[in-house]
Amino acid sequence: MKVKKAIKENDTFKKEFCDTLNKLYQENAGLSALKYFLDVSYRWANINSETGNKPKVVMLTAAVPEELVIAAGAQPYWIIGGSLGSTAWSDDVVPRDTDPVSRSILGYINRPHGADYSDSLFIIPLVNDSMRKIAYELKMQGRKICLIDIPPHHNHTSLNGIIAGMRALSAAVSEHLGTRATRKSTVSAMKQVSNARRSLRRFLEVSRERTDIITEPARVFVQDSYYMTNSIDEWTANIQALTKEIESKPVRHTVNNNYPKVMLLGSPVFFPNYKIPFLIQDTKLSICDAVDYTSLKTFMTYDKKSMIGNLNKLIKNIAAKWNTYDASPAYIQNDVLHKYVSWLLQKGDIEGVVYHILKGQIEYDFELEHFEKTLGEYGIPIFRLETDYQYQDVEQLRIRMEAFCEMLVQSRYREVKIAS
Amino acid sequence: MTAQTRANSLKERQDKRFINKETQTAAKYLRRLEELPGAPSGMEPFYDILEHIYVDMSHIEAAQNQKLIGTYCVMTPPEIIYAAGAVPVKLCSGNYTAFSIGDSVTPRDACPLVKAVAGFKQTGLMPLYEDCSMMVIPITCDCKKKIAGMLSEKCDVVTLHIPATRDDDNIDIFVNQLYYLMEKLEDVTGNRITYESLSEGFRKVGYAQYKLSEFIRLKRETPYLIRGSHYMAIMNASSYMPADKWGDALHKVNESLKEGKTVTSKKLPRILLTGSPIVFPNMKIPLLIEEMGGIVAADETCMGERGMWDPPVITDNSFDGMIRALANRSLRPCPCPTFADNSQRLYRLKQLIKDNNIQGVIYHVLRGCLVYDFEYKKIEEELGKLGIPVIRLESDYNEEDIEQLRIRIEAFIELIKLKQVPEKRKTERKGF
Repeated sequence: MKVKKAIKENDTFKKEFCDTLNKLYQENAGLSALKYFLDVSYRWANINSETGNKPKVVMLTAAVPEELVIAAGAQPYWIIGGSLGSTAWSDDVVPRDTDPVSRSILGYINRPHGADYSDSLFIIPLVNDSMRKIAYELKMQGRKICLIDIPPHHNHTSLNGIIAGMRALSAAVSEHLGTRATRKSTVSAMKQVSNARRSLRRFLEVSRERTDIITEPARVFVQDSYYMTNSIDEWTANIQALTKEIESKPVRHTVNNNYPKVMLLGSPVFFPNYKIPFLIQDTKLSICDAVDYTSLKTFMTYDKKSMIGNLNKLIKNIAAKWNTYDASPAYIQNDVLHKYVSWLLQKGDIEGVVYHILKGQIEYDFELEHFEKTLGEYGIPIFRLETDYQYQDVEQLRIRMEAFCEMLVQSRYREVKIAS
Repeated sequence: MTAQTRANSLKERQDKRFINKETQTAAKYLRRLEELPGAPSGMEPFYDILEHIYVDMSHIEAAQNQKLIGTYCVMTPPEIIYAAGAVPVKLCSGNYTAFSIGDSVTPRDACPLVKAVAGFKQTGLMPLYEDCSMMVIPITCDCKKKIAGMLSEKCDVVTLHIPATRDDDNIDIFVNQLYYLMEKLEDVTGNRITYESLSEGFRKVGYAQYKLSEFIRLKRETPYLIRGSHYMAIMNASSYMPADKWGDALHKVNESLKEGKTVTSKKLPRILLTGSPIVFPNMKIPLLIEEMGGIVAADETCMGERGMWDPPVITDNSFDGMIRALANRSLRPCPCPTFADNSQRLYRLKQLIKDNNIQGVIYHVLRGCLVYDFEYKKIEEELGKLGIPVIRLESDYNEEDIEQLRIRIEAFIELIKLKQVPEKRKTERKGF
């Protein structure tokens, strides 16, 4: 009976990511460079003990700089949630009201016949209550963990706390791997991630204007695939190739790209649960920006000046960059994200904001009020969409989304009328 | 009538309704506490202060020039506030009326405690909140973190970052935060914190802790000398009374308990209440337990014993040594679920079970209080090994679920009674 249940859960899990990959492939069949990203994600989702994959360093969430792990000689293996299927493997361990991201993360770790984590070091940034408790759960399971404390403020005092956290992270990874991060390896890692982040930023800028070539869910997917790759350099080369391909394609005038443009804000959308991006696309809205706590990582690039100095200085520079750009809701006031959203709004093409809240992610819900105020100043409507990873509510969400879309279309007509 | 006058009149009516409802709820629970039989003599000062704050909605009486400093959680050391010549008051709230106002300014899934705080601050009608010159908020959970941001827009707020582990490095960081808090307190009060004033702060709080330790010893006696609901009223009153006055009032209760007058001659199931805090006037859980024939023999909540039971240990008599002692006291023994590894809560619970001959545990979870909910499973497993039954009660501040809670508590108490060895009959059976 238990075996049957496990098979069923595994099937649900596989079906979910295969469905998402199929849909992305079908919608973007003309983009040959996208195949690499689909393959990367497929391999990541299919990782199991039989394939002999033993991640050395596992990073829960993307809220820690990976450059320090790379500098110590490991390729980070990210688990950032996003799967409904994986939540089945954590349901018995977490309370009912736990957010789906945390459930999914713990589910991936507990997945029967999943990756072999027996020799893994888990890096856990304490961004919320669930992560604190997941850390304890993993400790109880006998896993090796490294906790990264996040100070509640973005200021000079908090920088010292972040520096201490980064040093502890570097030391823990080095100890676990039996290698040592050197100045040279850290500079190399900084260059590597800077290159990847720059390339991603370029991709996002180019693809933002080319919805006739690449769909919005595919853009979100390419961004996510960074956390599934086992070679950042290879990923960077491929995203550059994809950007080039998009640029080189002639404009397809038959594709309507005049849909109301919205920003997707709030709880992060991670592969394979693309229910919301697909829904936005289905309701004839266009996601011009998907903004979450990982978005600002594309700006965390290091110039030559910040790569000068000894190892200690480099760690300080990484921490300083992180302190400036980290947009995690773990802070009392998430000013960084707030400023970034204001900056995007100034571009002037955003007509509405879909504020996505995953049930249980209370910190995003608290931040909504600030965004409502800012968007109110710009006269941009905001639409709060609360959901989880289940697919049963798609039709209700569709009705609400359609109503929001109609409202945006009507306001376009109104503006035209006023102008004339 | 102009639009402005209409708006003012509407606001007046809303305020009046808020005050009526708030005072009625508080008065009702106070009456229920007073009517509960078996209260020791000397309870009046505690009832009076709760009445003064919540029913009369009056200002806290402080000496001239003394500032009120609002605190949340047990991790803010009151000694430092006394040392700055100010008076600490705990602002964690259990008020349903404020909770329903807060509901409209905070997310739906926020915990009731945070909603009630937001509600009081939103209305601006509660003198306790309005009189505070500064608020100190230890960041113990996501809701507290975000409410700190909201409150900082309305008043002066100092946050204390609570680390996830209690190692030496983190204690050092916390010590630095306490120094920062001291600076802010000095700015607000205009008084310098000196070695002498800090010692005086230690003395004040130490006196109250000493009286509490004596009280806890008496509370453990069987047959029972005091009911848990009365004890919780005493602990709640400590939030609004200066430590020395509270200690004096507790001394009188201790003297009365020493007379040995028991609550009842019956053998009532001894219940341990743990989990989310029981904050006045939301006393429905302890009252229900005791109305259903149980007795709250001990508690492991932050509004109960946890807030004061551990005195600071000074190993270094210097000023820095004293601050370090406070940091250690605030973090090391604290079984708050904010800490990633909170195994010591289990040891604490086991100790309380043993010391108080506990027969059953009620695990209280305020809706939205995820950190406590996470720990339930582990505690249930561990206590199951000891043969101690545990139930999880999820609730918030509204009273609509009282009957469901009553049925569950009644069933739980019956279950414990069934396990109990029958008491010896004092009279002969008739009709055989």
